[in-house]
Amino acid sequence: MRALRDRWRGLEIGRRRRILAPVLLAIGLLFPIITSNAGNVDAAANAFTYVLLALGLNIVVGFAGLLDLGYAAFFAIGAYGYGIAASGQLKPEWSSLWVPLEWAGQVSRLAVPGQPETVQFHFSFWPMLAVSAIVCAIFGMLFGTPTLRLRGDYLAIVTLGFGEIVPVVARNWEGLTNGAQGLGGIRTPRLFGFDFGFSPYPYYFLGLALAAVGVWISIRLQESRVGRAWMAIREDELAAGAMGVNHVHYKLLAFAMGAAVGGLGGTFYVAKLTTATPDMFTFPVSVMVLVMVVLGGLGSIRGVVVAALFVAFLQSVILQDLTQYVHALGRAVGSAWLQRVELVTSLELIFGLILVLMMIFRREGLWPAVRRVSALTHEQQAAAPARGSVVKLSWAHAPASEGSTHPLLRVERLTKQFGGLSAAADINLTVHAGELVSVIGPNGSGKTTLFNLITGLIRPDAGSVRLDGREIAGSPPHEIVARGVARTFQNIRLFNNLSVLENLLVGEHVRLEAGVLGAIVRPPRVRAEEQRAVSSALEVLEIFGNRLLPRLDHPVYGLSYANRRRTEIARAIMTRPKLLLLDEPAAGMNPAETLELMDLIKALRAFGITVILIEHKLDMVMDVSDRIVVLDHGVKIAEGAPAHVRSDERVIEAYLGRRRAA
Amino acid sequence: MHMLDVLCQQVVNGLALGMMYALLALGFTMVYGIIELINFSHFSVFMTGTFVGLVVLSLMGVAPGSASLTGLPLVGILIVLFAVTMAATGLLGVLIERICLRPVRHVSGTAPMITTIGVAFILINVVLLTWGPQAQRFPQLLPNWRWTIEGVEITFKQVVLFAVAIILMVSLSHLVKRTTLGKAMRATAQDADAARMMGIDVDRVVVLTFFLGSALAGAGSLFFGLYYGFTGYYIGYTTGLRAFTSAVLGGIGSIPGAVLGGLFIGLTQSLGGQFIGVKWTDVIIFSILIFVLVFRPNGLLGAQTPRRA
Repeated sequence: MRALRDRWRGLEIGRRRRILAPVLLAIGLLFPIITSNAGNVDAAANAFTYVLLALGLNIVVGFAGLLDLGYAAFFAIGAYGYGIAASGQLKPEWSSLWVPLEWAGQVSRLAVPGQPETVQFHFSFWPMLAVSAIVCAIFGMLFGTPTLRLRGDYLAIVTLGFGEIVPVVARNWEGLTNGAQGLGGIRTPRLFGFDFGFSPYPYYFLGLALAAVGVWISIRLQESRVGRAWMAIREDELAAGAMGVNHVHYKLLAFAMGAAVGGLGGTFYVAKLTTATPDMFTFPVSVMVLVMVVLGGLGSIRGVVVAALFVAFLQSVILQDLTQYVHALGRAVGSAWLQRVELVTSLELIFGLILVLMMIFRREGLWPAVRRVSALTHEQQAAAPARGSVVKLSWAHAPASEGSTHPLLRVERLTKQFGGLSAAADINLTVHAGELVSVIGPNGSGKTTLFNLITGLIRPDAGSVRLDGREIAGSPPHEIVARGVARTFQNIRLFNNLSVLENLLVGEHVRLEAGVLGAIVRPPRVRAEEQRAVSSALEVLEIFGNRLLPRLDHPVYGLSYANRRRTEIARAIMTRPKLLLLDEPAAGMNPAETLELMDLIKALRAFGITVILIEHKLDMVMDVSDRIVVLDHGVKIAEGAPAHVRSDERVIEAYLGRRRAA
Repeated sequence: MHMLDVLCQQVVNGLALGMMYALLALGFTMVYGIIELINFSHFSVFMTGTFVGLVVLSLMGVAPGSASLTGLPLVGILIVLFAVTMAATGLLGVLIERICLRPVRHVSGTAPMITTIGVAFILINVVLLTWGPQAQRFPQLLPNWRWTIEGVEITFKQVVLFAVAIILMVSLSHLVKRTTLGKAMRATAQDADAARMMGIDVDRVVVLTFFLGSALAGAGSLFFGLYYGFTGYYIGYTTGLRAFTSAVLGGIGSIPGAVLGGLFIGLTQSLGGQFIGVKWTDVIIFSILIFVLVFRPNGLLGAQTPRRA
């Protein structure tokens, strides 16, 4: 048994899936035969709705980290979308515009003597699945737009507001939704003339198929450029932007995808139930879906699916059976109270307990997404640090942009004020391709502000920043990254719960192209792109010798300080920068590590990357720099070769204070 | 009735309602001010308060069907009712903080807020399982006196609620501005770590904040019971979200803002109900909530919080 388990764990993840998927599907397909109880099959069909909802919310909350407390709204929109299209609720007047739909068999003409002709809707279930998903995706973006500028808690409240508004509208817009009574007489799906009717069996298989599709979409998205961008935003939105992820685009995409999956759930649920009322989509439903995601583990697909099935099972089987036992116990001991207990009504109490207990004791969920990684072997740990033998990166730029009449970077009269404090005043700086320029200055002299201005994290009040002669000041960070400027942060900003490799792949975001469709379908083009990305990451890690390569799959929060610095530099190199801004890379490193870093920086220049370095360790600066720029109180007070700057009176004054007048 | 009279009447009704929202919003805004937590459990503490009030009244021999009281007995019972209920809800708040929220206080992200949702669900369902789903009648203690001034009717209930609310708010304001505890609260709100280093027992400040906020929610819950004459396990959610909107509208973290926001939401509810339709009240209020959060997240009186890069 143990040997079997170890062999299973030794298999790579793709192999495991190819074995597991058919097994699980077979169990799913055989379940109705095994149980031979229509009630169980019906409960399982409903459970698949929960799975879809949980998978959808997991995209929004688990992948992208956007807490949505009004998720039931999308369930409702999907449900009403199909409900209205497949019932007699809307009866618009007949006009010739409906003729094409009549030919397609989706509507028919209804004639009542003495009244104008009306249209009877009976849209087919199958295209409506897609339509519902698209409509929900649009609403997802609509509800998501106001939240783009908001912090976590406020974002949750706005989604909760929308979650409240949707059922109220459903209750009050009687013409569209038939108000509080809800829609009735919704047509059941048909397939090749076979009517699904009211037997649970066809719905079971349909639900199984939809849930399988949901899992498949989730896995494909998670392991793609899109999923990595979401997780980067979840871990650190600012750093994600600085690595080229357009957070507006990807947040809206998360809302849209999450809503679309929820919409599928709604459509399926209503087709099965043949009715839809506003009470089916209130806040407790949103919380129930949240419970599933929290229980399984935010971002963990397998965890979320199991938790959804568990909650459904709890609701429809466990609590009912338990109630029977408690009643029997009550009869046995003669307690009238025990005979009256209805445990099903305490479901929400259990939800509350689950939320509180999970948050206090196991926030990562019962079956979390982060996989455990094997520890380094003794040899790997004890290995002498070796520098990589990389001499050239395959994508390296020409060392100097030959023939270009522009310097690589030209900063002119750059100015930024914070309140009354001048962080950058009229700064001019020119950096030519292939140079290594250092920026030094006392604390608070505006060095990091200069980096923030160049990389677009803050907008300048005045002045211009030109890269290869083109203005980049005022562009958002992700566009500036795409143009070839990358950076590291003074206080390391990695995506902590992602592995070293995943961090690097986020860095490659702007050099890849796959969108949502590409991520899900994964055509050969995307497949090749992903392979290229991984080999490119390995190539960059090779620069660091045996420092990072053995830790490829380790989450970065567990790395040593120096290795995190290295990972951050590697991540920045992955964006294939022409210009790399390093903000105090040697801070907190010991002398040996600092020497190694100096070698690295020199190597980067040899690769054709132009470097601007902020650093306090002056011996290092003096050694590696072609040129040094000195800032003090936001003003450039000196610039020149290291030897020149070292002897500059104003620099000495800024660092050591004014000498008494001689 | 004349249009203007209707308007004035709804303004009076709205202000009375607004006082209840204000009391509820105060607890909300104080907790947010100190530990930046959106506390969903506050709503259910409010709801639980109405049931505590029911128990307290029945212990004093006042049943839902009892006739209203006047004179000294009324004053006496009101004082005991408010004191005991507020103490009980205050303690409930402290328990919630100690047991459920303190373990997650320093966890970043949405975990603390999810915990408060869980706590809210627990409280709601404990009440539901204890008292059942049907609405409970709340004793009508206050006599049904009413005066008509210039065509506008003012009830004795409204006068009492107004008076109690103002007494509570003035005391709170005094406490926050004039006492050492208040100074410790304000310091903790500015920077908890710095406050700790200056010798302030931050845990104690947080506990006391929860106590005060929850006690005010208890007072608000009695307003609800006395004003509407009923209660139920479900009242917390809607009322709570309206109170939350009040806090956000006034500027979350701001005490005068919570009062202002509460009055505004009270007026919105009564005037909107009159002129637009009761069934759209929640849509109006949630739209206000979303608009304020998106376009003026600091609310009407909220301090400009510095953003960290």
